[in-house]
Amino acid sequence: MIRLRALLTLFAVLAVGACGKGSSGGGGAGGGAASVQPIGQPVSGGELVFGFDGAAVTDFALDPHKSAFAPHHRVLRSIFDSLVVALPAHRYGPWLAKSWQISPDGRSYTFQLRDDVKFHDGTKFDAEAVKFNFDRVKDPKNAFFSTSDIGPYVSTTVVDAYTARVEFSEPYAPFLANLAKSSLGIVSPAAARTYGDQFPHHPVGTGPFRFKSLDPATEIALERNPDYKWPPAGAAHEGPAWLERLTFKNVPEEATRVAVLLNGQAGAVDLIPPQNLVELRSSADYQLVEGELLNHNYSLYLNVQREPWKDPRMREAFRKSLDLDAAVKTVYLGTAARAWSPLSPSILGYDESLEGSWKPDRAGAAAALDELGWKTGPDGVRVKDGKPLTVVFVDTQGNREKRLDLMTVLRHQLHDNGFDLHTDSEASGAYLAKSAAGDFDLLAGSLFAPDPDVLRRINSPSFRSVGGISKVDDPALNALLDAGYREMDPLARTKIYETAQRLIVDKTYAIPVYVLIYSVAAKRDVHGVAIDVNGFPVFYDTWIQS
Amino acid sequence: MIRLVLERTVASLVVVLGAVTLIFLILNWLPGDPASLVAGEGASAETIEHVRIQLGTDRPLLRQYREYLVGLAHGDLGRSYVTREPVLAKIESQFPSTACLALASAAVAVALGIGMGVLSAVYRGRWVDQVFQVAALFLVSIPPFWLGLLGILLFSVKLRWLPVIGRGGVAPSVLPVACLGLIFSVPLLRMVRNGIIEALDEPYVMTLRAKGLRARRIVYVHVLRNVLMSTVTLLGILVGELLSGLVIVEILFARQGLGRLAVEAVSNKDMPVVQGAILLTSVAYVGINLLVDISYAWIDPRVRVAAAGRAR
Repeated sequence: MIRLRALLTLFAVLAVGACGKGSSGGGGAGGGAASVQPIGQPVSGGELVFGFDGAAVTDFALDPHKSAFAPHHRVLRSIFDSLVVALPAHRYGPWLAKSWQISPDGRSYTFQLRDDVKFHDGTKFDAEAVKFNFDRVKDPKNAFFSTSDIGPYVSTTVVDAYTARVEFSEPYAPFLANLAKSSLGIVSPAAARTYGDQFPHHPVGTGPFRFKSLDPATEIALERNPDYKWPPAGAAHEGPAWLERLTFKNVPEEATRVAVLLNGQAGAVDLIPPQNLVELRSSADYQLVEGELLNHNYSLYLNVQREPWKDPRMREAFRKSLDLDAAVKTVYLGTAARAWSPLSPSILGYDESLEGSWKPDRAGAAAALDELGWKTGPDGVRVKDGKPLTVVFVDTQGNREKRLDLMTVLRHQLHDNGFDLHTDSEASGAYLAKSAAGDFDLLAGSLFAPDPDVLRRINSPSFRSVGGISKVDDPALNALLDAGYREMDPLARTKIYETAQRLIVDKTYAIPVYVLIYSVAAKRDVHGVAIDVNGFPVFYDTWIQS
Repeated sequence: MIRLVLERTVASLVVVLGAVTLIFLILNWLPGDPASLVAGEGASAETIEHVRIQLGTDRPLLRQYREYLVGLAHGDLGRSYVTREPVLAKIESQFPSTACLALASAAVAVALGIGMGVLSAVYRGRWVDQVFQVAALFLVSIPPFWLGLLGILLFSVKLRWLPVIGRGGVAPSVLPVACLGLIFSVPLLRMVRNGIIEALDEPYVMTLRAKGLRARRIVYVHVLRNVLMSTVTLLGILVGELLSGLVIVEILFARQGLGRLAVEAVSNKDMPVVQGAILLTSVAYVGINLLVDISYAWIDPRVRVAAAGRAR
């Protein structure tokens, strides 16, 4: 039962511990950002059924490089290991790589790899495997989502059997952060060749659990990898995982997820709805683990390439008409924090000074709108030159994370000031067509990412996808975001991103809404469920009290 | 009789072909390029073009349509754009669950609907009838997922009699089947009740009474047979609705289902999968209607006679 504040304290404590150790490859203390304190001696064996919110999706795409879907990465984390592990306070510890050096120009990363690691199919993990993985991610024919994680990647040189040097065409600071994500998890080259485009249904990695079977839409069954002896820095034990079996059940409906926890069909479930979170927190029969998802927070993006939103004064009036504190409290009942920056608070470079820097100001917004010629019409909606002040919000995600509930609250707030917000729900095909064509007033979204470079992924015209939520094209911002990924010094990077966040907020390019706290509720006898620094569940140290 | 079946089968095939063609056109007319959806966010134009050639969506529409029909004739439903799996395999993984749920729910609906309908009519105006009428009003006003949720809270969380999710065995299906069966029994109940009540005033019933038949025999043998005609028609519609409209209940109970597959495929513009799902649904729909048509002939001798008359 660790609340956000306690969590931040924990970060601080761990950061102090980790800083004392020095060198880049050194082992840090405590890999998990938050974990339930084990009681008694861990026992080996048993099955954990984990009910997760995998949405109504029927296809489980279990290829770490291919999937862009966070719920699938919650499964992938148990099957695939990474070269490095993210530790609190923007530090990285060894995992499949024992140590590493970054060249002074930031263009080359050399990794010394463990020589005792085997994939689930029995093949050996070595420098060739690392090269295979990065080449696979980069290959445009594969069209993998993880391509954007390796940025200006050129090639990998196999220095010797267990030394790999990764080369970039320009300095690339986000690499370690991205490397620690499951989206750059290491797949078995042999299996990837054998299964080809069917690899997502036959995932083979080096992780503590290996893939056993799946039932499309409902279940993914994993079993313990008995050979496992290469846990990441900060794990609570060594050797194979405690659990013999780990079964992921896709339970998309939140009320059903809570029901399967309460009736004992699942030992743990994730993404607890706010109303139950409050209740479970105070229950002695369940324990709650929560961790911030490193994320580009869910934010609203007005279409800056379309009238009237080209005018920054209109965007500001829109923002001033919102009372986000009230909206977030109403919808999430205090379980999600209010966001002030597009970056979630634990990402490198987060600018604390933005907190409280902008406030609702309905009267000010009304005055500005009057001045700009938007006069209140008979039905309460403002009109200018016969055109009503309509805001078309195009959406494809539905009520995931209660986002449509949130928009309903915002719609009422906006209507009080003469904006007329419409939600246009589309299938993803039509959504992408509309967003690419700029046929919308408002889009909103989030993107899980461990590095501030995510701002470039969202905002930079040369890097973002055509259907992305932001249509901003600001030379000053582009220059900052380009400088940001090339800057190797963390302090200088922080400065750059602070300026970038301030620019994004000052010009009302993005209106950040809430910080997602990922939550797992477990039965009292299920111990050691952890949420890693990136905000994904880890079951390596999990055990069940008999 | 055989001729009747043949006639209807040919007509059914035309309907299925029409459905397949229509969905092909609609999917192509809908906005969104499948290749850029498959290529994913941030893909370059070169990648998208590459995917387009892989998928074959660069070919002229007419040719795509022709090749699809040729494939169908050979029993090949194509491969999913997104996962590159054979469509048949994807459907095989989802359809059995939907079919079982739909058929079991329909069976429950029929048993409850006809049973309660007859009792309601026989005891018209008495307390049995009133209880059923109120229950029917309640059930018809409640959305299936809400009834399901209440069922989960009572039988799975509070009493712990039944599991919420799971596959295999009867237990995990009890709640969804009961919830759908109850809701879908209402239209049947009302139709049977009203049908019997109306029929009781018909001249043939008077004749039967005059013959001295017992009331029970009149209702269960003669009247019910007449009422069944319209009930079977309604049942055909209900089963069709069940097959296509289970998505929400399937998601609530975390079950596999064809509906989920179809919704996801439409959203991704995974056209071969959508076409496969629609094809199967339309075949099932048409098959049910065929059965309904044939059962008319079995229930009602007049239809048999008419068919035989045309044959002559």
